[in-house]
Amino acid sequence: MTRLMRTSELTKRPVVTMAGDDIAQVKDIVYAADGGSVHGFTLAGRGLFAGPLSSVLPWSSVSALGADAVMVADESILADEGGFSGEGSSSDPARRDVLGSRVLTDTGTDLGQVVDVIVQVQGARDQCDVVGYEIESSEALDNAGQRVLMPLPDTMAASGEHLIVPASATKFVRHDLAGFGAAVDDFRQHLEGRD
Amino acid sequence: MLFSDSRKRKIVCTSTAETVGRVSGFVVDPALRRVVAVTVKKSQDGDTLAWPQISGFGPDAVTIAAPDDIGSADEAVAALLGKRHAVLRKQVLSSDGDRLGEVTDVDFDPETGAIEAVLVDGAPVDGARLIGVGSFAVVVKAAPDTP
Repeated sequence: MTRLMRTSELTKRPVVTMAGDDIAQVKDIVYAADGGSVHGFTLAGRGLFAGPLSSVLPWSSVSALGADAVMVADESILADEGGFSGEGSSSDPARRDVLGSRVLTDTGTDLGQVVDVIVQVQGARDQCDVVGYEIESSEALDNAGQRVLMPLPDTMAASGEHLIVPASATKFVRHDLAGFGAAVDDFRQHLEGRD
Repeated sequence: MLFSDSRKRKIVCTSTAETVGRVSGFVVDPALRRVVAVTVKKSQDGDTLAWPQISGFGPDAVTIAAPDDIGSADEAVAALLGKRHAVLRKQVLSSDGDRLGEVTDVDFDPETGAIEAVLVDGAPVDGARLIGVGSFAVVVKAAPDTP
């Protein structure tokens, strides 16, 4: 089963064990160094006055990412901050935060600003892929000022300032998550066909 | 038999033929997927009746052999008492992390105490899918994909 979600919806989602206890909630999302997948989550305690937790939740320990909860086997899977091993999270501050970056085509057109990240989960134990961005579109697109969904290639160049996407990505823009998964597949197939 | 039908059922001692208490609630062990005890009120002897002490769970009364079968909870049962482990009216999450609804009732086998089904917003979910009952939610195994 494949499902797509906006990462902005993930924050504050409870982390629940299979025994039914809520042990934490998602504070922030940590992306893998290449930005292509979710590496794990930082956590906060549950409740109004609970602060951030020092423990983190690596993606490998997530049993399922659902619409209402992040499911884990039990409490023991919470790792220390060292749980994100060196090959993982990017510490380069320029690449840490993709929100707010401008999306630029390889032909030099500014398509808009990133406002959200779309991830795709295939099933339990699978990678949590970053498949697209929600952008506030610029005049270059038909519906300037609106939010649109832009599929991403498997790999791309990114700095804190710009993200470079192929110009053909504009043909695969969608307006809602329904059907966006197919658009991502079409787009990636299109890129493979071109190379 | 449903939890909602059997609450407040009288508990009758078969040796003295007297009503010795009433069922006030159920203690469920999610690992065993069965009722391991019932909580009792209006009894002089205690507040818990362990499932093995029950002679019969009938439509009109719960029968026990001796009044002192009702006692206080042993360690295993005490660990499952309280709101944290209550099943009724708790939200239900699938193992995929999706909210399915709220537990409206539980169907159990009056012979064995086995949980036959958990009623989620009225719709039965097979008791075999029950995984956990915790402070936040009742967790059930996600239904296999129906293509």
